[in-house]
Amino acid sequence: MDATGPLFAGPPAAHGIHWLAVLAILVGIAAAVLLLWGLIRGRLPTSLQAAAVLLPVAAYGLATVHMMEGSKNPAFCGSCHVMTPILKSLQGNDESLASIHYTRGLVPHESACFTCHSGYGIWGGINAKMAGFMHMVRTLTGWYTLPIALNGPFDINSCLGCHAFAPSFRAVEAHQDPDLQKQLLAREISCTGACHPAAHPEAALTGGSAS
Amino acid sequence: MKYVACLLALVALAAMVPMLVQLDGETAIIFSFIGLPAVGLALAAYVLARWREGAFHINAPSPGDSARSIAPRP
Repeated sequence: MDATGPLFAGPPAAHGIHWLAVLAILVGIAAAVLLLWGLIRGRLPTSLQAAAVLLPVAAYGLATVHMMEGSKNPAFCGSCHVMTPILKSLQGNDESLASIHYTRGLVPHESACFTCHSGYGIWGGINAKMAGFMHMVRTLTGWYTLPIALNGPFDINSCLGCHAFAPSFRAVEAHQDPDLQKQLLAREISCTGACHPAAHPEAALTGGSAS
Repeated sequence: MKYVACLLALVALAAMVPMLVQLDGETAIIFSFIGLPAVGLALAAYVLARWREGAFHINAPSPGDSARSIAPRP
């Protein structure tokens, strides 16, 4: 089987440097030229001072949007040491719940982690970004313990956003049980564990070290 | 002060470029924890310098001025 053909490479927009990054670089270059000019000459004409202030801020605004969007990519999540085994497990088709979703194309490949971990709706996205910021703080400071664990219960609405209206999900007898539905919605039980395989294998949560 | 602001802004731009070229955890941390504070400090330093030069001061009219302005004309 040849899996190297152009059809398997994904859409063209998924490759190369994103246009937003190019725009931020261009604005950043203009800002750097003005700032260097100001440093070398000692002062800038008043008319250019506003540009020297606004251009770096604009470049940072564009770069921040680029980072917010680009950080949805699983490769970004997996680039930190502690997450690398989880990304490998995701791609390795190891029958964990996350791997099943990823390898069968049940979640978008370019935002697989974000799709399940962001929660449902706009606040889910905002909360995920705040959690991601804390992940960076924890990575930087080493303020975490292995095996890593989810901070709080998993938001079942992330599952229900896709599954709730699927006939195949509704047809399962266990899903129709009123008691089970109450327990699931009250976060007393989770989809994983008793009924479905764990989201990620235990070995992948240890950051690559032996547990 | 403006010199410091220029230097900080250049540091911030230098911290931004690696993240734009290759976005990963390391470059995002540099961008977020070196670049963003640097650009914030640069902005603060510039505003402070301009404040010292007399910008952003509100020339509020004195109570006497406002009393005269609303007094009925003879």
